[in-house]
Amino acid sequence: MSANEPVSHLSEAELRAMTADLDAIHHDLTLPALKDSLAEWTEDIHAQGDAGRGGDAGQRLLFDRRRFLTRAAGTAGGVAGIALLAACSNSSSSSSSAASSASASASASASASAATGSAASTGGGEGQALSGDLQVVAMAASLENSGIATYAAGIKAATAGKLGTVPPAVVTFAETAMAQHKDHMQAWNAVLTAAGKKPVTAVDPVVQPTINTAFAKVTNVTGLAELALMVENIAGETYQNGLTVIKSAAGIKTAASIQPVEFQHAAILSFVLGKYPVPNAFTGVSLARPPSDYKV
Amino acid sequence: MEIDETALNGLIEQSRDTHADALRAAQEPLADMVDLGRQTRAGSGPDPDEGRAFASENRRRLAAVAKRAGGLLAGTGLIAAIADYIGGPAFAASGTDVQVLQTASSIEVLAVSTYKTALGLPYIGGSSANPVIKTFATTTMSQHADHLAAFQSATKSLGGTEQTKPDPAFVPVVDKAVTAITKASPSAGALLVVALALELENIAAETYVNNMSLLSDANAKKVTASIMGVEAQHVAILLAVQALLKGGAGADITLPPPVAKLPAAAGSVGFPNAFYPTTNAAPASQGAM
Repeated sequence: MSANEPVSHLSEAELRAMTADLDAIHHDLTLPALKDSLAEWTEDIHAQGDAGRGGDAGQRLLFDRRRFLTRAAGTAGGVAGIALLAACSNSSSSSSSAASSASASASASASASAATGSAASTGGGEGQALSGDLQVVAMAASLENSGIATYAAGIKAATAGKLGTVPPAVVTFAETAMAQHKDHMQAWNAVLTAAGKKPVTAVDPVVQPTINTAFAKVTNVTGLAELALMVENIAGETYQNGLTVIKSAAGIKTAASIQPVEFQHAAILSFVLGKYPVPNAFTGVSLARPPSDYKV
Repeated sequence: MEIDETALNGLIEQSRDTHADALRAAQEPLADMVDLGRQTRAGSGPDPDEGRAFASENRRRLAAVAKRAGGLLAGTGLIAAIADYIGGPAFAASGTDVQVLQTASSIEVLAVSTYKTALGLPYIGGSSANPVIKTFATTTMSQHADHLAAFQSATKSLGGTEQTKPDPAFVPVVDKAVTAITKASPSAGALLVVALALELENIAAETYVNNMSLLSDANAKKVTASIMGVEAQHVAILLAVQALLKGGAGADITLPPPVAKLPAAAGSVGFPNAFYPTTNAAPASQGAM
């Protein structure tokens, strides 16, 4: 990727030092709390299911918590091995360094789709007859896949020299935002796999065609930033809407921890584009994707 | 300073229009909240189990606040007083959602007054101020005033009394910081102002993120959810501004910034966490009446 040499007085070392403390807090406090929330949410989902089916809920919860934690250990490879602990360790690394994440997109098919403007991929965990919180989780995972695909395609285009000169700060933004979306996707999929479902690796089938059409017209960094801004606002508003749809308190905690991050991405993108970065006193839900984006 | 004032003013005007639309959109959940509040008051009293869970959550957060504040707050006896209040009958008798909303209001009261104080400094709100920072401080203060009005309205809709006073636990912290700011040079003072604003914005964002799983009323959740992302956006911009100031690149705080000049790490300084933390969240009843 081409880049200009930074000439600001601000050094890499100074910036790294500024974020070091935040990284430590994130790793020591935030991620363990998130793990607890996701484990609790998995139990809630099974409790909801058992309440409808009858059966020994206590034994099922015990088993599923163990299964969740086992899967979270991340011993399996590839997408099937997507696990909470992996997500959490990636989270901390994404905060400080996401340099290698460009090649670590979770959904190769999704990346290719956005990069080429072809039709959105299907399969990838769709059609599992999910309902309730699990349908929200699956939709959220697919939306994150679309976000990952957008950034991956942008990075690929920039690397190929199709976007002109790309400032190094923009490169870092794209790689870090993509890594955080990957963390989000892994968190959602950890809930699905712990519930005995397949992870969703497909992109959002409703949003992706719009992204592909827009991406085909991107010729420079500004165009890519505009597209990313749209994707981030859709994600933030979707989770905001999801907060009133999700039943489990632990699920609400998880969605609530992700929504502000998407809006932070949007704020920085607006700033870079020369738009006022916090345009509204209240964020809305007019762009929110419904759970029905996930095809049951 | 390279900034197109006309363009900036146009953007602010556009932002105000959009903001007015958003305010109108907020009316619906608030109206729904009125109806739900009436239904709640028409039914039985607060759920004892819910109250116990709420109190437990708040004691945990209170301990975190005490640890964070060190001896300053402990010395005032404030922590003990709040702990007594949480365990007392007044707490159990009042609704959880109302207390959460009152605490949110108290944080917004403090945020508005803090930005107002900051704007009184010549290098933040005066003629020597960076225009982007001045605009940000002015607009952000206005947005916090809107948040305060929304939380107060929501409180009243649920039958509670609107909170108009600042969060008592954070007032000494702000007072101490303001004292240091007034004694500092403009360059040092600007950094202290940004640090204080960051602390308050983070407390607000983390508190509201945490509150989402404590609130039971659907429309109280809607209002809180529509605000927490905005506070997080304030944090993102303040982190970027802080980095530029610390790096001696205050002249680069423009809209848009000179992105090509910035080092690579500047691209991610505004959003350090993939998942928003709640470790600095205020206890949900801390600002309750």
